Amino acid sequence: MPGSMEYPLPRAMWIAVRDAALVTAGCAVVAFGTNALRSMGIPVVAREPYQILVPCPDEVGESIEMAADDARLRSSGTLLIDARDTADYAAWHLERARSVPYDFLDPVNEKAVQEIASTGASVVAVYGDGAEPDSGRELAREIAGKGIRNVHHVVGGAPALQPKAPDAADGGTP
Amino acid sequence: MTAAVLLGWRGHAWLALPARVYLAGVFLFACWHKILDPHSFAIDVATYRMLPLAAVNAVAIVLPWVELAAGIMLLVGLRARAGALLVAGMMVVFLVAIAWALAHGYDMSCGCFASQGAAADPISWKTVVRDAAWLALALYVLVFDERPLGLDRLLARRA
Repeated sequence: MPGSMEYPLPRAMWIAVRDAALVTAGCAVVAFGTNALRSMGIPVVAREPYQILVPCPDEVGESIEMAADDARLRSSGTLLIDARDTADYAAWHLERARSVPYDFLDPVNEKAVQEIASTGASVVAVYGDGAEPDSGRELAREIAGKGIRNVHHVVGGAPALQPKAPDAADGGTP
Repeated sequence: MTAAVLLGWRGHAWLALPARVYLAGVFLFACWHKILDPHSFAIDVATYRMLPLAAVNAVAIVLPWVELAAGIMLLVGLRARAGALLVAGMMVVFLVAIAWALAHGYDMSCGCFASQGAAADPISWKTVVRDAAWLALALYVLVFDERPLGLDRLLARRA
């Protein structure tokens, strides 16, 4: 098997290009063959556009992190927003929290944003599912992007808050 | 020092070896999640919004295997220059894609080492610098590693 060793550079480059092309072709054969045989293979041509989870850049602002034990979460001047879906909200939510379900694929409800703005709350604290990415953080960023200031998201989301739920003093609503 | 002397220096093989092993590690690590979950990687590719829909899945299916092959070639020193060329070519593509996404203001994960669901690797100009550094390493191996340590050298001795 002739190699590319100690050939003049142009010749060595040509050999590298040839080998790279052959390897790429071989990889394509293996890749398509493997994809066809495996259970989680995908169509070679996508049948419909992928739903892309990229927020529109001009509608996203910056939200501030807030710890789950932050005292402001119990302050009446703080507007609490639950970004989880309605079923999770119904199962448990912080007392006084408003439900604004966040969907990664849909824009934030403008009416809900207007209602948030109309409250005049000094602090807005959003908590979500605590997953990665966290729905609370994403909603907080979108709300901040609408021009509302002092928007925070609770780090860890509802799971970080829920251990305190049985304690009525903490405002948990089972 | 003339270009011929620079190119012919025997020490390049020893300088290129850690570069090869490092790049191999990067690409072998990067290809793993893409091969295991082609659907997620297809979404990663689509998220850049550079390719027509008809090409997204084909790229998502083939690219990880090319990464795997290039990583193995660099690691074992088999057709190491071709492996370096593959890596350099992919780095150019990745650089263009990331610069494109940044220029359009997309707030997204790189998709390099994990799928878009993981926000741990967001694209930034630091990503561009990182990829440019990897491109430079690949080009060094491609141009200067005339007698790569590894299988290429063993096979050349037998020939």
